[in-house]
Amino acid sequence: MTLLKLEFFKCRRRKIALVCAGVLAAQVLWMGAFLFRQDGETAGQEWMMLFYNLALLDAVVLPLSVAVLASRSCELEHKGGALKLLKTLATPGQLYAVKLAWGALTLAALLILRTALFLGLGAAMEFPGSPPWGRFALFTLISWAVSMMLYALQQGLSLGFSNQAAALVCGISGSFMGLLSMLFPAWLIRCVPWGYYGLLALVGMAWYPDTRMTRFFWQWPAPWDLVLLGLWAAAFLAAGQALFMGKEV
Amino acid sequence: MNVIETRDLCKQYGAALRVAHLNLNVPEGSVYGFLGPNGAGKSTTLKMLLGLVRPTAGSIQVMGKPMDAHNRLETLRQVGSLIESPSYYGHLTGEENLRIVQTLRGAPVKSIREALEIVRLDGQRGKKVAHYSLGMKQRLGLAAALLGYPRLLILDEPTNGLDPAGIQEMRQLIRELPDRFGMTVVVSSHLLSEIDQMADTVAIIREGALVFQDKLEALHSRSRHHLALRTADNPAALALLRARGVDCREDEADYLILPLLPDSQTAQLTAFLAENRLGVVRLEERQKSLEDIFLELTGKAASL
Repeated sequence: MTLLKLEFFKCRRRKIALVCAGVLAAQVLWMGAFLFRQDGETAGQEWMMLFYNLALLDAVVLPLSVAVLASRSCELEHKGGALKLLKTLATPGQLYAVKLAWGALTLAALLILRTALFLGLGAAMEFPGSPPWGRFALFTLISWAVSMMLYALQQGLSLGFSNQAAALVCGISGSFMGLLSMLFPAWLIRCVPWGYYGLLALVGMAWYPDTRMTRFFWQWPAPWDLVLLGLWAAAFLAAGQALFMGKEV
Repeated sequence: MNVIETRDLCKQYGAALRVAHLNLNVPEGSVYGFLGPNGAGKSTTLKMLLGLVRPTAGSIQVMGKPMDAHNRLETLRQVGSLIESPSYYGHLTGEENLRIVQTLRGAPVKSIREALEIVRLDGQRGKKVAHYSLGMKQRLGLAAALLGYPRLLILDEPTNGLDPAGIQEMRQLIRELPDRFGMTVVVSSHLLSEIDQMADTVAIIREGALVFQDKLEALHSRSRHHLALRTADNPAALALLRARGVDCREDEADYLILPLLPDSQTAQLTAFLAENRLGVVRLEERQKSLEDIFLELTGKAASL
């Protein structure tokens, strides 16, 4: 607990809140612009459309955001050579775990705030029907879980290499892959870690050529895909930890 | 009692043995100077003492306990360190930086102020460390090491980056630490004069191997005046002189080395050798400087 408190203390003046505000602003602006351009085709399906587009937005915005947050947290250890000192005061395992815990809490706060914002947006725009509270909670949890899987990857890179370029390039490529993976068949998406935002989306979309209409439908993530998500996370965690713990400072 | 003891400590990188079978003995309450040319393996050795680098072979005991994964952190709670360059968070103030170390070391909050006062940074405690000069960062690093008054302080080239006044101040402070706070200080340097001014015990390493370890006086004693004698038959002269109770030895350059003797005694010795048909070819008074000894021990020119 002491280490975790110190982790937040260390992130003072690192403009973490500003990064999170930027992520939220990007999502709200994107979604706002999309919603105001709707022509009534999706009437009655607004909540589903919101969920569908949020999954798409997550796939584009969150990989880079996660990379930036991990980099902000890890870069400070490289800049002043702090690991030399920290490793005499705590075990490398503790240091790695506490950085991960910091990321988990920060992402949880960001995504809960994001959910609250879009719930408010839906209510403000008078979407029909009561807000699907349970699905919002599940969607937040899935977004967080996928983001944590990517955070494990990004933390491994950001702590493993003092130059943050590799980690940020990975994040940018991830955002691109996340968007692109929406077009992949399901089996291929499973091989792309950034594609899990779309793979585990709670809403699917079907387009009917005869009527030229788009219909949304609720869906549940396949248990096998959740297992795969866990495996990806475990692999990134193990690799990142091995890289960090094996490194002599 | 020795605060640090290493036995056959080795570190190998690839095919290169960077630290070779080191047997260090650091006496409690001493300022232990760890001297060697650049690249001799000083920092690697100090990092091994702190568990930052894994030894390839050998053992380390710190304060009577073997350093292993289980008790490393418990032992290091009583050890302050400053390795190569100071560790800091540039976006935090000096005081905030020390708060992190104080919390992790479990030291009282007041020790932050005390450490800042010792290194004379109390006037700059609210300033971001990114805006500190190199010398101020170095002093902050020392303050972090001093926090909570650990029993053992390991300082790797602590005067790097300091101006001449800062260097003098740092040396003075290091000299005072054992008496003021009961600390044992291990301080490394490639500067012979620096170690000469600070340490009371000295270890010299060359290419990873220990070539000298003793009290500073023992190193100085090697630099005392002596007589160099060359005769027509040195082995015979050596045997005769030893039989007469003269402490002498033969050096590599065909000279017999004798302690500095009064003139009358020297005259008697030369007469004695002549009586024994051993002609004196050369008789010189010599003195080795500390630099000569360093050069002899390390094979490299001393940095002054």
